[in-house]
Amino acid sequence: MLALVRSACVALYPRTDALPGIEDTDLDAFLVRFRRESSFLLWLGVVAGAFVFAITPLITTGIPLPAFLLSKRLRDRHANRIASHPIYLLRQAVMLVKLAAGLCWGGHPKVRAAFALPPYPDEPSRWRTSFDEPSPSSGDATRDASPAKTPPVGDTA
Amino acid sequence: MRSHIAFRTEPVELEADYVVVGSGAGGATAAVTLARAGASVALVEAGAWRDPAHYPASAYGAMRDLLEDWGSQVTRGRALWPIVQARTMGGTTVVNSAIAVRTPGDIFRQWERERGVGGDAMADAIGRHQDAIERELSVEEVPRGSLGRSNLLALAGDAAADYQGHVMKRYVASCAGTGQCLQGCRKGRKQSTNVTYVPELLRLGGDVLSCAPVHRVAFESRRARGVVGRFVHPETRAKGGRFEVRARRAVVVAASVTHSPALLERSGLKSPALGSLFRAHPGTGVFGCYDEPVDMNVGVTQGWATTKFRESPGLKLETLAIPPELVASRIAGGGTALMERLARYRHVAMWCHAVRAESCGTVHNGLGDRPVVRYQLDDADMRRFRDGMRLVAELHFAAGARSVIPGIHGMPFELGPDQVHLLREAPLDPRRYVAILSHLFGGCPMGKDPRESVCDGDGRVHGVEGLVVADASVIPTNLGVNPQHTIMALARHFATRLVQ
Ligand SMILES: Cc1cc2nc3c(=O)[nH]c(=O)nc-3n(C[C@H](O)[C@H](O)[C@H](O)COP(=O)(O)OP(=O)(O)OC[C@H]3O[C@@H](n4cnc5c(N)ncnc54)[C@H](O)[C@@H]3O)c2cc1C
Ligand code: SF4
Repeated sequence: MLALVRSACVALYPRTDALPGIEDTDLDAFLVRFRRESSFLLWLGVVAGAFVFAITPLITTGIPLPAFLLSKRLRDRHANRIASHPIYLLRQAVMLVKLAAGLCWGGHPKVRAAFALPPYPDEPSRWRTSFDEPSPSSGDATRDASPAKTPPVGDTA
Repeated sequence: MRSHIAFRTEPVELEADYVVVGSGAGGATAAVTLARAGASVALVEAGAWRDPAHYPASAYGAMRDLLEDWGSQVTRGRALWPIVQARTMGGTTVVNSAIAVRTPGDIFRQWERERGVGGDAMADAIGRHQDAIERELSVEEVPRGSLGRSNLLALAGDAAADYQGHVMKRYVASCAGTGQCLQGCRKGRKQSTNVTYVPELLRLGGDVLSCAPVHRVAFESRRARGVVGRFVHPETRAKGGRFEVRARRAVVVAASVTHSPALLERSGLKSPALGSLFRAHPGTGVFGCYDEPVDMNVGVTQGWATTKFRESPGLKLETLAIPPELVASRIAGGGTALMERLARYRHVAMWCHAVRAESCGTVHNGLGDRPVVRYQLDDADMRRFRDGMRLVAELHFAAGARSVIPGIHGMPFELGPDQVHLLREAPLDPRRYVAILSHLFGGCPMGKDPRESVCDGDGRVHGVEGLVVADASVIPTNLGVNPQHTIMALARHFATRLVQ
């Protein structure tokens, strides 16, 4: 499954002279993380989209081969045509792969650097547990709404 | 001891005067209003409580940690348009742009005429509540230095095209212009309810449960007695212990336009209007391509807007910045053609519209407590949608754009100034557009007649005791402006009436 999704991602976001491609990012680690962290239905949708991507070259290029067996040039043509195919459901299925792959590609430090943006910091999933201090650990909040600022309830407030 | 209770594996039982379900714009406002009046309040929120230091920075992190189901919920209709809502303490106020717009006066007259609620008395009360909320949540204009080039270009285009726009007012104290509003404000400047009203509720002695999706409201004869559910772990989604929160006086449901009707339906509430009058402001963006870099992610996420077209054709236009990872899937095509388009990212500005669509849909409870939304725009709304795209495109050209990228399937990828007229004839098939629904209304519409409405003008559910709805689901019409201010003021109004 991962290989199927991976090949669709690489075809959709290839390396060019101007920009790093998705193969220049941590795609393999990303896909493992995405499969683990996303919901089952979302992952299923992405796999289904990759499957659609793989089996449709016949209708975009006339060649009865799966996308991953096409030449680089034909696969590139297929990627562009299937992502903007007139049949809505085909387009939407591939859109899911494009969305997931876009999260990997566009969030990567190399791509952000190409757009003069700083890298994202690490972002493990964190939240407030029952035992945490009950005060907002906000960044450099200038004000946190304190009760002092808030008038009492009433229609006349 | 009053406390915050997050995910637990063991059962939890509590009792309070009022139980509030949902901590977003409506729920947190209702809860703090009740607590300020001296009542004991338990706030029950499905999502985890994340503080600004916990927020993710990337769109991936925001979808994982803050959005409901990774933002993957879509409408069922001809087109599958995403419905974006948050599932976290603070609800959608955490991921929104915090734009504060007062309820237009015509709305109260419309509600009075069509629904038998509203009118001048409600308009006065809502106006006073909005004054107070503006003070409490530091509503201010985006500082000039935080606007960024995209917003400055919109201001220039506006001056040239007379769109009568303005710099936005938002619930943000000294915005630093980091362009991260949609991922949660890590600077802590945005006054979302998780950093304002919910901490205040705790200080006032309220109980707060997080990671606690309510499965159903419990009734005894015709009276709401509390809520029950099971904790869900925010990372593994494993089920935890059962919780039961009893309400001595009332249950206030504020779980959003999609979840409030679904929750009431699975709780067995019988109302012919339950799930009806679902409406939205469907919107989309048009990219303008400029000679100089725009760097739309530098500066505030949204800073300029106009309401000039609210009445006719029924639109709001705004600036919006989205990060490269979201632009990547928003731009048509794949392969090297897509990459060549994306190479211009620094030179594009994304401005968008929100359509005051009159089309109505329905919300019902689906499998696994997931709401099912059936909704599609009729041709009149699609015409508005298309008009809005043309108006945004014309604004870009007035601001000096060389071309625009409308993103309509089957039309040229890019249009020059002399091709804008093509948008007047763009197809009306919604499947050709990439849109999202972020401003939602209805599902538990208020009104005088129980056959056509779920609750009355004080949010009280018809035909049962001790049950109030206090979120966007009560709004029975489309507003044509950003809804948070109206939702918060309505929730405050309902809570005030409840304790009186
Ligand atoms: C990206 C985006 C940007 C926006 N920008 C703006 C803006 O700038 N200005 C503006 O006015 N509006 C904006 N909006 C809209 C605005 O945020 C919403 O209209 C508003 O937050 C809705 O308030 P609510 O209380 O109805 O629901 P929400 O704020 O969504 O809160 C509902 C809460 O209920 C919880 N919940 C759901 N089901 C259950 C359950 N079973 N048990 C317990 N809890 C439950 C949810 O987790 C959530 O926390 C934006 C929306 C989006 C998506
Ligand atoms: S632009 Fe940045 S500082 Fe301003 S409210 Fe949004 S996230 Fe916070």
